[in-house]
Amino acid sequence: MSSHLRRGALLLLLLIPSLALAQYALLKAGSTPLDPEREARVEALSKKLRCPLCQGMSIWDSTSAPAVAQVDTVRRLVSEGKSDEEVRAYFIARYGEWILLQPKAEGFNLVVWLAPGVLLLLGFAVIAAQLRKGKAAPPEPTQLAAAAPAPAAAAPSEELAEYLGRVRKEMDS
Amino acid sequence: MTRATLTTLFGMICIGLLVVFWMAFGSDPHAVPFLLVGKPAPDFVMKDLRSGERMTLAQLKGKPTVMNFWASWCGPCRVEHPYLEWGAKQYGQDVNFVGVVFEDSEEQALQFLRENGASYPQLFDERGQISVDYALSGVPETYFIDDQGIILDKFIGPLNPNQLTEWVRKLQARKAKNQAVPSAPTPTNTTQTQP
Repeated sequence: MSSHLRRGALLLLLLIPSLALAQYALLKAGSTPLDPEREARVEALSKKLRCPLCQGMSIWDSTSAPAVAQVDTVRRLVSEGKSDEEVRAYFIARYGEWILLQPKAEGFNLVVWLAPGVLLLLGFAVIAAQLRKGKAAPPEPTQLAAAAPAPAAAAPSEELAEYLGRVRKEMDS
Repeated sequence: MTRATLTTLFGMICIGLLVVFWMAFGSDPHAVPFLLVGKPAPDFVMKDLRSGERMTLAQLKGKPTVMNFWASWCGPCRVEHPYLEWGAKQYGQDVNFVGVVFEDSEEQALQFLRENGASYPQLFDERGQISVDYALSGVPETYFIDDQGIILDKFIGPLNPNQLTEWVRKLQARKAKNQAVPSAPTPTNTTQTQP
């Protein structure tokens, strides 16, 4: 009885991941690859298009059904003689620039492309400025004197003079 | 470069990056943009699974259309199917209901329909080309197309009867509006057709 239970539990454990992955199952093979040259274009284009289901992955790397259909579409468009830009435009017309794993470096997108580099350069500039300041000539004595704490008053007060006089007398005696 | 110039440049870049972050924070990272809203539905020619006859988008014009993409291997599609069957019976007089089988085999899809009912046309999207034309991001997804062939919007995930009723009402309202203000014929996207 316990062995039946164990076997049942094992089957259930195997079944759960299978059911969970059913959504992503590749039920049909993709379309027939084109000649090597055009297939290389299909691959290059597909590697730069985002999978709508799995996200963060390209449609080339994903085995989900929508991604397979999209790679087939890229293949069809390439076989129809469409240029790379036309293939990208087809997808952008449907999903916007979101579909591009690498956004175009133009317009407002330039902020994202250029800002890190500019910030890095600014950082170097600040560091260089600080280093230059550190290497600057040592301060002049007058400056040191000015920076030193003010000496005690030149003339001792009457009270102090009286006190010092008493000390001297005691030492002499 | 003076200190003031550096500070200004730094401030401008920081503001630019903050705008980018603000735009990103305001959106759902899992949402897939859909740019076909308000555009003519891409034309198609697909085979009806049961009759074997070819069906085109042009045949659906004149009445709003509820177009549901599904697959027999998709669990939520199984949950949703009875509601669509109900919808087709309830609103079929005024609205076209069409199913599109996505990335599936004909045998499995027909088996699914035998088990779950098929009171409206079920079209077979060979190689998923029509689905990509419609910017499908997964199944189930349901597209709402007005009587003039313009995409009103799409619904991602399984519909329930209340949601379906709400969408049908929107389609009917759009049809009434279109009839009240006759507009120039809208062009259709005829670039993508199935052989």
